[in-house]
Amino acid sequence: MKPDLESRRWLLKSSALGFGNLALSAMLSSESEASPSDSPLAAKKPHFAPRAKRIVFLFMKGGPSHVDTFDPKPLLDRDHGKPLPFALPRVTFAKQGNLLKSPWKFQKHGQSGLPVSELFPNVAKHVDDMCMLRSVHGTNPAHGGALIKLHTGTDQFVRPSMGAWVTYGLGTENENLPAFVTVCPTLAHGGMNNWGGAFLPSYCQGTPIGNASISSSQAKVKHIRNQRIDKNTQRKQLDLIQAMNRDHMEKSEHNKNLEGRLESFELAYRMQTAMPEIQEINGESKQTIRQYGIDDPMTQNFGRQCLLARRFLERGVRFVQVTHSDSEVQWDQHGHLFQGHTKNAAEVDKPIAGFLADLKARGLLDDTLVLWGGEFGRTPTAQGSDGRDHNPHGFTMWMAGGGVKGGYTYGATDDYGYYAAENKMHVHDLHATLLHLLGLDHQRLTFRYAGREFRLTDVAGEVATPILA
Amino acid sequence: MLLTIAGMEVGIPLLADDSTTHSPEDIAFFEKNIRPLLVKHCYQCHADQQAKGGLRLDSRMAVRKGGDTRPAIVIGNPAKSLLVEAVDYQNPDLQMPPKKRISNSEIQLLKDWIQMGAPDPRASETATNLPTGMSIHEGRKFWSMQPVGKPPIPEVASTGINHQWTRNPVDSFLLAEMKKRGLSPAQPADRQTWIRRVTFDLLGLPPTAEEVRRFLDDRSPSAFENVVDRLLASPQYGVRWGRHWLDVVRYADSNGLDENLAFGNAWRYRDYVIQSLNDDKPVNQWVTEQLAGDLLPNANQETRTATGFLALGAKVLAEPDREKLTMDTIDEQLDTIGKTFLGLTLGCARCHDHKFDPIKQTDYYSLAAIFKNTKTFADSNTGAIKHWYEHSFATEAEQETVKQSESVIAKLKQKATDFKNAEYSRLRQQARTKVVDYLVAASGIEISDSLTEVAAQAEKFDLHPRILHHCRLHLHYQRENPLFEKWHTSIDSPDQIRQFYDNLFARVNAAWESTRKASPKANALEDSVLELARQALFDPVGFLAVPPKVEFAFDAQNLTKYSELLEKSRITESAAPDAAAAMGVTDGIIKESLPIHIRGNHRSLGDAVQREFPEVLRISTIRPVFPEHQSGRLELARWIVDSRNPLTARVFVNRIWRWHFGNGLVPSTENFGVLGERPSHPQLLNWLARRLMQSGWSIKDLHRLILTSSAYRMSSTPLETNNLLNPANRWLTHFPMRRLEAEEIRDSVLAVSNRLNRSLGGKTVPLRNRQFVFDHTSIDHTRYQSVRRAVYLPVIRNNLYTLFEQFDFPDPTLPTGNRSETTVAPQALLMLNSDWVMNSADDLAAQIVQFGGDNRQRCQKIYQRILGRDPTPDEIKRILEFIAQRPSSESAVAKQDSGMKSRPSAWSLVCQSLFCCNENLYLK
Repeated sequence: MKPDLESRRWLLKSSALGFGNLALSAMLSSESEASPSDSPLAAKKPHFAPRAKRIVFLFMKGGPSHVDTFDPKPLLDRDHGKPLPFALPRVTFAKQGNLLKSPWKFQKHGQSGLPVSELFPNVAKHVDDMCMLRSVHGTNPAHGGALIKLHTGTDQFVRPSMGAWVTYGLGTENENLPAFVTVCPTLAHGGMNNWGGAFLPSYCQGTPIGNASISSSQAKVKHIRNQRIDKNTQRKQLDLIQAMNRDHMEKSEHNKNLEGRLESFELAYRMQTAMPEIQEINGESKQTIRQYGIDDPMTQNFGRQCLLARRFLERGVRFVQVTHSDSEVQWDQHGHLFQGHTKNAAEVDKPIAGFLADLKARGLLDDTLVLWGGEFGRTPTAQGSDGRDHNPHGFTMWMAGGGVKGGYTYGATDDYGYYAAENKMHVHDLHATLLHLLGLDHQRLTFRYAGREFRLTDVAGEVATPILA
Repeated sequence: MLLTIAGMEVGIPLLADDSTTHSPEDIAFFEKNIRPLLVKHCYQCHADQQAKGGLRLDSRMAVRKGGDTRPAIVIGNPAKSLLVEAVDYQNPDLQMPPKKRISNSEIQLLKDWIQMGAPDPRASETATNLPTGMSIHEGRKFWSMQPVGKPPIPEVASTGINHQWTRNPVDSFLLAEMKKRGLSPAQPADRQTWIRRVTFDLLGLPPTAEEVRRFLDDRSPSAFENVVDRLLASPQYGVRWGRHWLDVVRYADSNGLDENLAFGNAWRYRDYVIQSLNDDKPVNQWVTEQLAGDLLPNANQETRTATGFLALGAKVLAEPDREKLTMDTIDEQLDTIGKTFLGLTLGCARCHDHKFDPIKQTDYYSLAAIFKNTKTFADSNTGAIKHWYEHSFATEAEQETVKQSESVIAKLKQKATDFKNAEYSRLRQQARTKVVDYLVAASGIEISDSLTEVAAQAEKFDLHPRILHHCRLHLHYQRENPLFEKWHTSIDSPDQIRQFYDNLFARVNAAWESTRKASPKANALEDSVLELARQALFDPVGFLAVPPKVEFAFDAQNLTKYSELLEKSRITESAAPDAAAAMGVTDGIIKESLPIHIRGNHRSLGDAVQREFPEVLRISTIRPVFPEHQSGRLELARWIVDSRNPLTARVFVNRIWRWHFGNGLVPSTENFGVLGERPSHPQLLNWLARRLMQSGWSIKDLHRLILTSSAYRMSSTPLETNNLLNPANRWLTHFPMRRLEAEEIRDSVLAVSNRLNRSLGGKTVPLRNRQFVFDHTSIDHTRYQSVRRAVYLPVIRNNLYTLFEQFDFPDPTLPTGNRSETTVAPQALLMLNSDWVMNSADDLAAQIVQFGGDNRQRCQKIYQRILGRDPTPDEIKRILEFIAQRPSSESAVAKQDSGMKSRPSAWSLVCQSLFCCNENLYLK
């Protein structure tokens, strides 16, 4: 038994109050003191100096088309209607026809002159802070497989999600809140596995706030509020429970779990205040509400998600994901590309731009990594006359802030945007890079399970060092 | 191993090739062009210790020998050389260097080099020795691979305290280890503690106050045995211990993974497990049924249902690559079999020899061959989603009923679709009649305008705001469409727009009307300008597109109507009967061998291997003959339960031990390999394994033995003198305290509040077989308000019941014999705020109040019910003080919070507090 535990045990036995009260008074004093150093969630030192302290993933469910948004392809315009001049992948999700040019025009933006299509006029204003990753590849041709691969690194097994790995590696800076929060995630296509902890300790798993079927204004953590008694009554009840627990500890073998249980009830009690506070956005200025598009039905749902993300991030939550997903698989335009992408972009363009501007204004963008993207891109070839199939072979995600080069483009797809061709960035490479930006070496962040050391990047992954600022 | 295989393909002559035959010019060509190229593009992964894919390119011999697949070059034939294929980037599965194609001129240099005979002065080296696991020879000596043997029971003492303590051989083995270390067993627990411990252990429920009293009063020498016998005879025993087994076999009621479809028939396997345990089915028979129940000579519905074990895994149902799906599914099956029965991580040998254990890749594919012969998927599918195989038990009459209900469902779905289509037609028609209004209104808004602003404009013209919004963006994005040229040039003059387009569309309509009159089947107008306008007007996704999302398209009234129709069809579907069937496997096309998949890649096949058992575990050099008309699963099953198999009985008794004592004799219950832990009491493990087999593989016999030991009677308070010598209680000197598992927490709360329904069996997942648990809508229709035992609650992969998820229910895709025990705040939120806890507290409080008596007696009753003991005077005092505070009185409740549900009584809060307290949640 460790000496410090021995002394705590002695304290417990000799003090009339018992540990429960000691812990309680400590916890009521201040947040920093309230964090017991042996709590698994306590902030941990990264492997090396991090560029980003926290990360937010703006996930576009369904697969936004890169050739219509951030990866212009002049040859696609030129050869519209002709067949793809090289072989299709061995396995495709659906039958594909000839090349289909983008219905949208691209324009250069900012000092860097990075091209963005007219679908994203507001996000385009931030290109000088954005790092385009144009050669991401290696998910899976179907939504389910691709989502799981993107979020966990494998499409075959149930493995910890990237947020769980980050939580495992870094803990959190605010123990009144979960370290990993996912706002309105989709329950289809992997569901919980996309924020699950698999074999990692359970504190690593993400805490969902609502789900994709619930408006973000209604999204809540489960059981966060007692609907039958007020706080004062609950405090009295909690005092009764804790008094019983202290008695029980006196009569039991020393057991860390019993102490932990006392603490967990107090933390839960505090979370009941902390969580709703974050979700209560009435205190935000009119300007902010407008900036995120929360004042407009087109953008209010995703805008509120982005605002919640900012509120979580500024309170020290390590990993926040927001998901743009609806009952139509959102960005999955096998047909009706023009109509679908027009609407989808209109729903997120303003909120994302507002979010980036807000992070920057608050000085959060420097050490917050923003990641944007879907589970795959879409094919430059047509499905029907006005649609594109899934394309996991080469697509664009982008990053902003968090120590990556702004106004920078990394990697490229081929002339038509089908395959990643230059500086190819496999999903494992993306994960290795994310971890690196957070100060974690993807080869050292391991967990032993069933006789083997597991990593987010399995046996692969290479950090894309050129994007580091 | 792999290198050998690749080497055999190469053959000797190439390896003997001698560089001296090349001219100095050729060598110079290599030095100038090829060596720098290889260093620059390839060495990072294919030199020195780095040999990705088994390939090194830093010596002549290594290049010629190649990697896992085949030689990197064919001398004199660039077109057939793997190296050229890889750098050429024409094969999507083989592209090197992976990040970027090298230049055409560099590729040409490589081709030239190969053509000229691949001159290469670099010295030959011996191949890299990749790390491999134990050899077969070493492996046979590893502790878990050795025969179980016949360990003698240690002589601890023939008289005295030690003699009294050793009630049975289990105690002798444990005490012998304690004595070696100067340790002593803890005092016996009091009877109240013991009966609570053993009742939770065997039934997952607390003893009733009456059961406690009866046991305390039973002074006969067989009092303890009587309790154990009573509990083992209870059908609730199978519920509790069946759940343990369901953890191991990753049981679930839905697929999870990529497409979450309901396993609407998995419950038959669950019920089979519970029944088998209640029947004390011999373990060897039980295992055989689960692996090959369909192949037994007397196969019946029960044994076929047992093969659900092989079918329950999570599968990538929408995987477009069939062969990958097949091999991934086999991998899941082998991994589960290995962990469940053998304590082996067989899955580790899919891509290469096991890195630690004496399991070779050939062993893996010898086993995989058996499962390649096994059919886990049906031949049917729903779109991209493949169906798993099921054994059908339905009679023709039942199938007829199912067909009828399917047609009812189809009709209801059609009704909803018809309604939706009709409403869309109407909205489109409406938009078309107002086309000019849309164009005029659109000229008054900017593309950057918010929907709110657009809606204001739409209202002025009585238009659909979202159609108008889309219309405005469409006009912008499609500004090169000649149809809209006039609109763009007249954007500041709405009147001109109106005049022009009124005229245009009037002509379109007139022309269309007359064309149709003349020829009803006409599908275009002759005039190309008018035809362009007509097309735009009728294009459902054109500038007048109605939003595809009904929430955005329909008004509130129609939306409600549509939702009602959908909901009706969904509810009807959920409740509709399924044809009786069980998930399971059957034999497929039988082949006697399977090629090794190099690096686990189904596109890269090596030598074929025959069906076999892992080499290290073979008990005879005489090899079994596998039937040519069967998969070989039955032979595999019989080999697994052969009494000479060193692992099966050991792994099984260790599981039983873990579930009784909270810790296995081998703590890593799924891994008896090199990286697993070593047994704390190897001889006890061996003795128990032998004993299990001797008893005819009876689980209940094993329970009786363990539960009537002195070890099981020990108090959870250790002797002070033991503490430093017994870290983590490895020598089991006291009984380990444990937290109740998720199911026990729930079931005990329901039981003490008299809400628990103890009925057994039947379908409980509220979904039709193969119905989506979650489709794209993400709406969770699963409900958990049932008050049956928790084993009957739906186990939904990807979205576990919150209680399960919070209280360490295992991931139902991974075999788990050793649940973890964590403490996190959301557990407390659940205990404090969830409906089922509060409702149970209400019910219990109502019963207590109704029971009458004074407050003191009520306290007594509550303590007896929940904790199985009487309260102390201090405890009564504390409760009475709490009640006296009137914590739940009117004044204490925030009045403004009118949305609150009814307030619980003070007694309800007391009951809930006892549910939450550690004494209730932790078992001593």
